[in-house]
Amino acid sequence: MSNGPVLAIENLRTYFFSRSKQAFIRSVDGVTLHIEKGKTLGIVGESGSGKSVTALSTMGLISAEPGVIIGKIGLKTETVQKNLLRDLKDHVKINMSTGRIMSVYKDSLGWQKKINRLMKGIRGKEIAMIFQNPKLSMNPFSSIGKQIAESILLNTSISNRNEAKDKAIYWLEQVKMDSPRLRYYNNPYGLSGGMCQRAMIAMALSSEPSLLIADEPTTGLDATIQSKIVDLLAHLKTSFGVTTMLISHDIDVIKSLSDNVAVMYGGTVLEHGPARTILTSDYKYKHPYTAALLSSIPSQEHIREKKKLQVIEGDVLDTINIPDGCRFFERCNKVTDKIKEQCEHTEPDLREVFPGHKVRCFRFFRT
Amino acid sequence: MAALLLLGVSFVVFIILFLSPGNPFNALLKEQAATGAVSDAAKRGLSVPSSWYTQYLSWLGNILKGDFGNSIQTGLPVLSEVIRVSINTVYLTAGSMIMTLVLAVPIAVLSARRGLTPTNWFFTIFTYVVSAIPVFWFGYIVIYISIHQFGVFPLASSSSSQGWSWFHFMLPVIVLGLGNGTISEVVRYLREEMSRVFAEEYILTARAKGASIWKHSFKEGFLLPITEIIASKIPFLLGGAVVVEQVFSWPGMGRMAWQAAQYRDYPLIMGITVVAAIIVRMGSLMQRVVQIMVNPRASRE
Ligand SMILES: Nc1ncnc2c1ncn2[C@@H]1O[C@H](COP(=O)(O)OP(=O)(O)OP(=O)(O)O)[C@@H](O)[C@H]1O
Ligand SMILES: [Mg+2]
Repeated sequence: MSNGPVLAIENLRTYFFSRSKQAFIRSVDGVTLHIEKGKTLGIVGESGSGKSVTALSTMGLISAEPGVIIGKIGLKTETVQKNLLRDLKDHVKINMSTGRIMSVYKDSLGWQKKINRLMKGIRGKEIAMIFQNPKLSMNPFSSIGKQIAESILLNTSISNRNEAKDKAIYWLEQVKMDSPRLRYYNNPYGLSGGMCQRAMIAMALSSEPSLLIADEPTTGLDATIQSKIVDLLAHLKTSFGVTTMLISHDIDVIKSLSDNVAVMYGGTVLEHGPARTILTSDYKYKHPYTAALLSSIPSQEHIREKKKLQVIEGDVLDTINIPDGCRFFERCNKVTDKIKEQCEHTEPDLREVFPGHKVRCFRFFRT
Repeated sequence: MAALLLLGVSFVVFIILFLSPGNPFNALLKEQAATGAVSDAAKRGLSVPSSWYTQYLSWLGNILKGDFGNSIQTGLPVLSEVIRVSINTVYLTAGSMIMTLVLAVPIAVLSARRGLTPTNWFFTIFTYVVSAIPVFWFGYIVIYISIHQFGVFPLASSSSSQGWSWFHFMLPVIVLGLGNGTISEVVRYLREEMSRVFAEEYILTARAKGASIWKHSFKEGFLLPITEIIASKIPFLLGGAVVVEQVFSWPGMGRMAWQAAQYRDYPLIMGITVVAAIIVRMGSLMQRVVQIMVNPRASRE
């Protein structure tokens, strides 16, 4: 395998047009991140920071009109190497002013067709996805086994129905579903949320994807089930080593599964680096937002030691009126007089401050 | 359930007939000075029960024995007559239901998938206009055009000697299919259901695994709403059939009902009522069967 990341997103921007406000919601506004082969990248960030939109953009599943996606999503696997947004720009006319999009004309039909062409053989086959709400994410009118077998028939070299069925049962075993042979015939209605999520995971893995995107795979589940699913994901990670993009609010989930972490805020990545440094509270190069996030989320440590939780002051960023300067400026408690001017008026770039560790903060560099 | 429904329907129709002016004897005896005395004598001669409830009960009792009585006008047994013509009505209504769906389904599917583009918007408006056309008016226009432009007299009865021709069959079907007033509703309902299902999370999953969203949305987005529409529109189609059959002299149940009403042919009206109610009932039965078949709560082994 050639080197280089499996997924490299560069300056991804996904905007939605809000009719009521006659303005663009800049849900994802300049995301840059990459995932190395066999590694898991955890994406954390408050609700609304654009995590799901990043994932869906990667899958070419943004269908809202007239949404716009620009930037570069480079996918590099054993069989495919391409920019998943290639030539999409041909279908949109964008008026830019001072680096921001002012207005957009979009040929939606052509755009959608192009996306479908670009994603053919990618969706399901190269990139598989797991969603937050397992019970709603499986088709209620079909058995889970059939749905897994369908994915196998579509996305692997297996083309025989019986073989696909055996393979589906194999994957149900791999996700530790009890009595997989019987469960094969169950509709989602007959299963608990946890079992549905196992089936979802089995379905995603069954196509043997080069990249797995898991968007909040544990959030919709009960606490006890959550930890079981995390254990399962950890086990699968060691046995299959699938390259994974793992999205979660839950720092503990991220901590136990990720090699690298990207911290998102207001549609952009504020920090990107190894999990073990980013997630330890006393690491030197740390974005103030990450620090605040770590202390605002009850980790096992907090609960054990009854530490007082810190709340991040202020509101989540308004993604319509993004400020000129650092997106976190309003809420930042680490601004010093020396850099204040700069923080308020210029947006810092995501810069490497230590090998493999990038931060978007003027505390660590000057423009 | 079904028996109760039939009982209720027949009872209501019976009461309406009883309360409406005119009676079969006057209609029957209209040539011979229909005075009260003659009519009463006829009643006595035919041993008709005197009060309305004894009349109804005796009718009901006979029905349970499978005897629907004889037509007052023609003297033929009601049941076999109604069944004979009901086949024609089933052809007409089924044909026009298919006609309605052939028009409505593509419009609904396209606008559910692509949104209200100018083309879809135009077609949707078109269905609203079509639905507003009164069916009898539409029927007469079609007959007028057919006579004056093509020189063909498009009445079903005129063709009975040479058997059915496609032309005679299709015209009433098209008229009822377009003019039954349900197209816009079918489009709207199907579009809403499909759009709702397309937005379901499991459809996103289907797209994410590269599967066909049509396949995955078929049961909830198409099969269920379509059977529901068909079941709920059967009464409207039967109502429209009365008019269309009359306009085109189509030898069906609707035309028979119309004539029976004019002759105050009570046994025939009651017989048609029961058969029509059974047809409507079969529509909802079919819907139930489909619902049970695709029920997500039932795991099939
Ligand atoms: N189809 C859409 N149309 C308009 N706005 C959208 C659409 N999808 C997402 N958004 C907006 O984009 C922003 C980012 O949403 P996103 O779902 O990516 O957040 P998230 O980080 O995944 O949050 P959460 O943790 O709650 O899942 C939100 O403000 C959301 O309202
Ligand atoms: Mg999300």
